[in-house]
Parts: sequence; structure tokens; C-alpha cells
Amino acid sequence: MRKKKVGAIALKSLALLVVHGTVHLGASNRAMAQDATTPSTTAAYAKMAPIDQYLMTDQSAEIALARSAAPESIARDAEVQVLGRHGFETAVKGTNGFVCIVARGWTSAADADFWDPKVRAPMCFNAAAAHSYLLRLAKETEWGLAGRTQAQMTESIKAAIAKKESAAMEPGAMCYMLSKQGYGCDSSPHWPPRLMFFYSDTDPAIWGANLPGSPVTGMSDPVEHLTSFVIQVQRWSDGTEGPLKP
Amino acid sequence: MSRGSDLTIGFALVVIIIINIAMGCGVSNAAAQTDKYPKMAPIDQYLMERNAEIQLARSAAPDSISRDATILVLGRQGYETAVEGKNGFACMVNRSWTAALDWPEFWNPKVRAAHCLNPQAARSILPVDVLRSRMVMAGRSKAEILSAIKAGFENKQLPDLESGAMDYMMSKSAYLTDEDGHNAPHLMFFTAGVEAKDWGSNTAGSPVMSAPYWFFSSQEPSQMRGLPPVLVFLVGVADWSDGTPAGKHND
Repeated sequence: MRKKKVGAIALKSLALLVVHGTVHLGASNRAMAQDATTPSTTAAYAKMAPIDQYLMTDQSAEIALARSAAPESIARDAEVQVLGRHGFETAVKGTNGFVCIVARGWTSAADADFWDPKVRAPMCFNAAAAHSYLLRLAKETEWGLAGRTQAQMTESIKAAIAKKESAAMEPGAMCYMLSKQGYGCDSSPHWPPRLMFFYSDTDPAIWGANLPGSPVTGMSDPVEHLTSFVIQVQRWSDGTEGPLKP
Repeated sequence: MSRGSDLTIGFALVVIIIINIAMGCGVSNAAAQTDKYPKMAPIDQYLMERNAEIQLARSAAPDSISRDATILVLGRQGYETAVEGKNGFACMVNRSWTAALDWPEFWNPKVRAAHCLNPQAARSILPVDVLRSRMVMAGRSKAEILSAIKAGFENKQLPDLESGAMDYMMSKSAYLTDEDGHNAPHLMFFTAGVEAKDWGSNTAGSPVMSAPYWFFSSQEPSQMRGLPPVLVFLVGVADWSDGTPAGKHND
């Protein structure tokens, strides 16, 4: 019984990463995920909604949501960026090297929620991730807000990688995703608290990811040369207990 | 008490000991334990029955990882390969002397720290464990061990730390410390050129903890000369390697 449960949990964990790769998957995963997306759900968010639907009118609320990605001891001294009409903008300067944002749907896999205006994914990146991963995410956001389609964004990412305009992941790049608020996607609105780690050109197998019983989930994106690892943790950023499993 | 609370407390009891010592907060406790283990115990107290040691080593990681891993066991001359693996992971039961050199339990013969190192750690951390153990089993002192390690790095006989080095420590049968709890499932990440604050570790509410690899205390930085700086990050996980929830282990 327990074995069955563990197996199911592992599968769900992987599915969660694949389906809600929101913030950790890049262009090629967009393409791969697009193939797996059912036409009916894709139709719900077939194109970009009016920009206003992605913006949070209350900047203070967006700052608070972004900060909720990490414990207060980290988030209080972090830079906070909020989404404007042309991309992420610095709303609060930080002092500890961390940068907190609320990611939106278009930074995700090309799943049903790519243009879902409800998606709000709070993340706090450490300095190494802010210098590498976040720069990519910010660029993708600018493209999305400028009206590029999914396919155009994918091509733009490929081109940036080919021209080496997109930086490799810095050693130690990671982020906190411990917010109990936010909105992941329609099929799983509330994600469990987790840490993410970013590497360039790394096989997920080196951390034993995705194997039965492993607490590590990993995804590799050969086009972006990006590997993301996810480790679920026990508590939300406010110290309350998280869900048992995804 | 809820499962999550049990886990958090269990993990904290093990790891906070490390952190407290690292930060100089556990001085009285550390001193008491130094008296408890002032020197190496008779060698037999550190040895195990071979099959039991293989089993314990494997229990550090889920079967999906450890079944194809190389297994090392401790013999009278040091670690030796008991099972050749094929996935690049290496599992072994570390003894107390593979921890920080100033750990009060450095000679604690009860310590059985089962861990499975990923390929990067197997290539870069394991050689240090093997060297230390060979020296210990040959009756060398801490000072001699430290000199040998420094010489090993200077002569390039010991490799540089590889990026992505980590290990699994998820055995419910491990014994990590005399302190309450004794054990908690976790992953460890070995890093070079990274500071604790870079991962937000050891801050209030953070699920990430960290401690220096070579010496907990920074009171004598001269000891570090010749050693590559390595910081170990720890992240607690919910289950033991067999899939049972950690919170129930000590019930």
C-alpha cells in the first residue's frame, strides 16, 4: 500500500514539474509540452489576453506576493521586481543579492496555461540565479509583452542561445518557491513549497532525479542547455506546514 | 504532534548541533563531548559485519539509486570496494572521523553515517573520505591526517571538488550523532566558492542549512591553509529511503 502511494507521489511530483514547468522550463520544453497539450484546454488560452489581465493593479500586493516566495529573513532584504507593461521593473532595491518576482504563465512550458492570465508564481532567486536564470526569464517576459507568439518566443530563445546572448547558469543558481499564495495553473492552482536549482548542460541523472523514491525531480532542456532540479520542502515561507506531498 | 513538526524537529536537532558548533554556540556541549571521545576507540568498535554494512550503505538512498551503486565497506586497512556499481553513485557507511576535524564526536565509535554520493561527489569527495580512513586505520593522529590531506591537494593527488557534487543520507538506520534524534533524512550539497548567505541558509525559516566541511570552528583559520574551502548545504526531505515518513521514525 505504502509502496503504491510512494509510486503515485513520485509520478505526481514529476507530472507537476512537467505540467507546471512554469518557471523552470525553457523554449524547447515549450515545444515538447505543446505537443502534449490537449486542444480543448489549449483553446482556453490560445492567445495572449489583454495585458491588463496579467498586471496586478496594486503594486504593494505584487511586492508582498513576490516576497512570500522566501522566508522573511531572506525576502525582506531582497530586490523586488514587479511586472510593468514592457517587462519586470525594480520596485524595491535589495541588499542581499536575492531578487523576488511574481512570474506569469508565459515563462512556462507551452501548456494550457501559457497565456493563462491567472498564473502568479512567486519566486525569490539567489544572486547566482538572478545573474543568469532571471535574465532569461526577464527577456522572455519582454518578448511576451511585446506581442510575440509562443513559436516566435521559442525561436528567439534559440537564437539568443546560439549567439551566446543568453548567459549560462552560474554555479549555485537556485531559488525559493515557498509561497502559499499565488496560482500555479488551472489543474493544480497551489504548488507545494519547493526549492529549485539551475544548471547548464547537466544530466538530471547526476542527482538521481526522477527515480522511484527519489526526493529530487529534474528536467533537462537540450535547446536551452538548462537543467532544473526541484526539491519539495516541508514548510511555507511563513513557517506553517506545507502539504504532505504534491 | 504532526508529521511535519516531527520531521522538522528531528532534522533540526541533528543539523542545528552542527550549525551551533560551527557558529560557536555549542561550546559547553562540545567540550563535554570532547571529554567523552578524547581518542580513538579500539578498531573493532568501528567495524561492522560485511553484509550488514553493505545493506546499511545501500539504505542511504532509494533502491532505484543504490542497487546499481558501488558499495564500499570499512576494513582494517581502510575502505575497500565490496560491490562494483554501474550508475556512478557510491554508497558507504562513513565513520565519525570523516566529519569535520574539530567535531567533538570525531572518535565516536557509534557513528554510522550511511550515504550515497553522486558521481561528482564519488570522484571528488570520496577520495578524501578514503584517505582519512586509511590514515585512521593505520593509527595516525588528527594532525597527521590533516597534513596528509593538505599534501594530497598540494600534490594534486586529491581532486578538486566537482560542480554538482551531492549525496543522499536517507537511511533510517543511520546514527549520525549522540544528540537527540540521532538521525534525519536529508540531502547534502558540496560547494566551493559559495557562502552560506548565497543560498539563504541558516536564516530564520529557511529550509536550507549549511556548515563548513573541514572545521566547524573558524577560531583557527590558519588550520584551513592548504585546504580548498568547501561549504556543505543540507536540505531535509520528508521520507526515509524506504519511503516511510521520517516523522514516525522515533515514535
